[in-house]
Amino acid sequence: MAATPATRSIAAMRSLRELTGALAAGLFLSCIAGSSGAAPITPTRDDEVIEVLPASAGNREDRQLRKRLAARPDDLGLATTVARRYLEQARESGDPRFAGLALAALRAWPDATRAPDDVLLLRATLEQYLHEFDAAVGHLRLLVARPNGSRQPQAWLTLATVLRVQGRYGDSDAACREVGRAGADLYATACLAENAALRGETAQARRSFETMLASRSLPPGTRGWLTTSLAELEERDGRAGPAEAAYRSVLRLGPDTYAAIAYADFLIAQGRPAEALAALKDESRTDTVLLRVALAATLARTPSAPREVAEMRDRFALANERPDARIFHGREQAMFALVVDRDVERALALARGDVARQREPLDVLVFAQAARASGRKEAIDEARRLKASMGLHDRRIDGLL
Amino acid sequence: MACSDPAPARRWRHALVVAALLLVAGIAGAHKASDSYLQIAAAPGELTVRWDIALRDLDVALDLDSDADGKLSWGEVRSAWPRIEAYALARLAIEGCPLSAVGRGLERRNDGAYAVLNLRSSCTAAETPRISYALFAEVDPTHRGIAKLQRPGREVVISVLEPTATVAVSGTGPHGRVSAASMPGAIAPGAIAPAAASGSAASVSPPSPSAPITRWQFLREGVRHILTGYDHVLFLLCLLLPSVMRRSPACWQPVERLGQAVWPVVGIVSAFTVAHSITLGLAALKLVSLTPAFIEPAIAATIVLAALDNVLPIFPVRRVVVTFFFGLIHGFGFAGVLAELNLPRADFAWALLQFNLGLEVGQLVIVAVATSVLFALRRWRGYPKWIIGAGSALAIAIGVLWLIERIGNVAILPF
Repeated sequence: MAATPATRSIAAMRSLRELTGALAAGLFLSCIAGSSGAAPITPTRDDEVIEVLPASAGNREDRQLRKRLAARPDDLGLATTVARRYLEQARESGDPRFAGLALAALRAWPDATRAPDDVLLLRATLEQYLHEFDAAVGHLRLLVARPNGSRQPQAWLTLATVLRVQGRYGDSDAACREVGRAGADLYATACLAENAALRGETAQARRSFETMLASRSLPPGTRGWLTTSLAELEERDGRAGPAEAAYRSVLRLGPDTYAAIAYADFLIAQGRPAEALAALKDESRTDTVLLRVALAATLARTPSAPREVAEMRDRFALANERPDARIFHGREQAMFALVVDRDVERALALARGDVARQREPLDVLVFAQAARASGRKEAIDEARRLKASMGLHDRRIDGLL
Repeated sequence: MACSDPAPARRWRHALVVAALLLVAGIAGAHKASDSYLQIAAAPGELTVRWDIALRDLDVALDLDSDADGKLSWGEVRSAWPRIEAYALARLAIEGCPLSAVGRGLERRNDGAYAVLNLRSSCTAAETPRISYALFAEVDPTHRGIAKLQRPGREVVISVLEPTATVAVSGTGPHGRVSAASMPGAIAPGAIAPAAASGSAASVSPPSPSAPITRWQFLREGVRHILTGYDHVLFLLCLLLPSVMRRSPACWQPVERLGQAVWPVVGIVSAFTVAHSITLGLAALKLVSLTPAFIEPAIAATIVLAALDNVLPIFPVRRVVVTFFFGLIHGFGFAGVLAELNLPRADFAWALLQFNLGLEVGQLVIVAVATSVLFALRRWRGYPKWIIGAGSALAIAIGVLWLIERIGNVAILPF
């Protein structure tokens, strides 16, 4: 029987109804079945994949190196190569497990006083990555006190950086000058300019950065970090226009996670969370990136906000199973508590714990924001005293205190 | 977990070591330091341990990935199991309790798959059993074991085990106590204070105080959430658009009296309310939990389907029934927000009731305004074409875009 157009459309309608009925039932059933959280795995076949290893850990070359190192753990060249690869992987992925593996690669030299220079420098750099700043400073001081210490520009530079992170600008200056004596003039100049900018010698620091940037022969990486330092200087000095221009010119040079995060923080502070999301969209979702995404999505009220916030909350909860997690994540957890949870007391406690260890301008800013939000005079005074004791110049913080 | 701190040194290093900066896309997902989880249950004459160890970490120590394809298959793990057991058992000792393996399993956690070892000993553990722990000591000195000790009639004691350190797990004294945590890995953030740097018995302090809660805070949150939760509002509107009309086989007819519009609306709103209250309650009580990765797109799908039904009847059952099923999905969406609000444990039921009441109040406001406007417009000749037709088409478009956004994790719409 030939189907008339009418019967055909009725049939089509009926099958569409069946389809949607099935769809609705399917939605509901998967609701019931799809419970999340820790769940047992019950594999049925031997070829069933139950874990995909991180690209680098599953990498044949890394596996080979690891095996060779296991056979000869005291092979200096091999050990430092393996540790360096793991350190790079930790930085690229934001996965701290790699920092642990890197430390283990150096285990043949447990005694720092007798460890080779490379091992000691790597260990200090890993400690810096793990936010063990005091340990890093101790190992770097040991390294530069060696007879050849004056010829170790990288050790001095890392020391200057860690001391700056601790808010010890005077000590950092001294290390910067040693970088110059060790023969790395450009880095010494930039190192000193960075400290000068933090102390509020803004005009001089700006001139210094601009002079360095005027050189045509700068490699793009160097140009990128000098321009980022300039952007941060302008931001702390309250000049949003030049700060934004500098951030944008860094990001035009190529992908730069550090600059993208700093720019996103700047945009969030400027009340432009949607643009902050756009600035981060190509970054891999490390914890620090995801934090900014969650904050910006919350402030911009995007539909994805609950999902981003839930993921960040899950990651914090996972990390906090280990009691010292808040040492690594105090600043980030304080920002989250302040913006997303609006839990001022918790934010203040976390921020206070954070500045006891780590004093970049952002750490002090978050502490000041939490103190201001709490409205408590003693907390505001505490933040003001901290800023004064460091000699930090930051108009964003002045506005809060 | 160590974050990729702004690490200024990284910038310096890249500058000194002038190398092509190749930014490899990192691994998405939870990044935490390496931890294993031990649930120790000690009773007179028997001690059992459930020990969860990440396969990823075991691979580093034992090279589980025998074909080096970057994936661990069940076959690879199964054949390596005796090695896993031997390796782990040699690195854990509980004073006075020789352990033997009695069972095995696999568990999926947020940061990957874990091997589960079930161990047992017929012993009566000491009051403060000394535990020596050396798992992964040679491959990752930052690894830790997170142990929960349960004893009948006692509170759960949590301690952190460091490789090569012996810890006395104490259940007495003012320190060393947290409120009983029953699930593995279910410690609320804020429950544990940073441990003493000494690495001896982990000291644990009570939860940090949270901000004082105003009396009607959660009612307000409920109202705010439905009024600014555009997806829920759009879904309700889709259901309401045809409510001032009657569908005859050929065309739409405006209703005569307000009453004729109100009763179907009451039915639909009630179905939605009952349904989302059920799932909101279930989720809030942690009886059912669903990942937002599923719920958020599902909510977008309900909008598309509800709007589609306005243009072309597609549901095999009455709208009230469909609304009920879809309401179940939206309830999980509300629960997601509720989780972020961190409801106080003490007044949990009261806070949940407030939040739900807030949702209903907000919903009633939307329904009252929308129904009044639609009722006033019902005799307009363009109503079926523009309000129902174009309105639903717009809702379908927005719903589809949300669906794409939420599945693909991309941003298209500005809201």
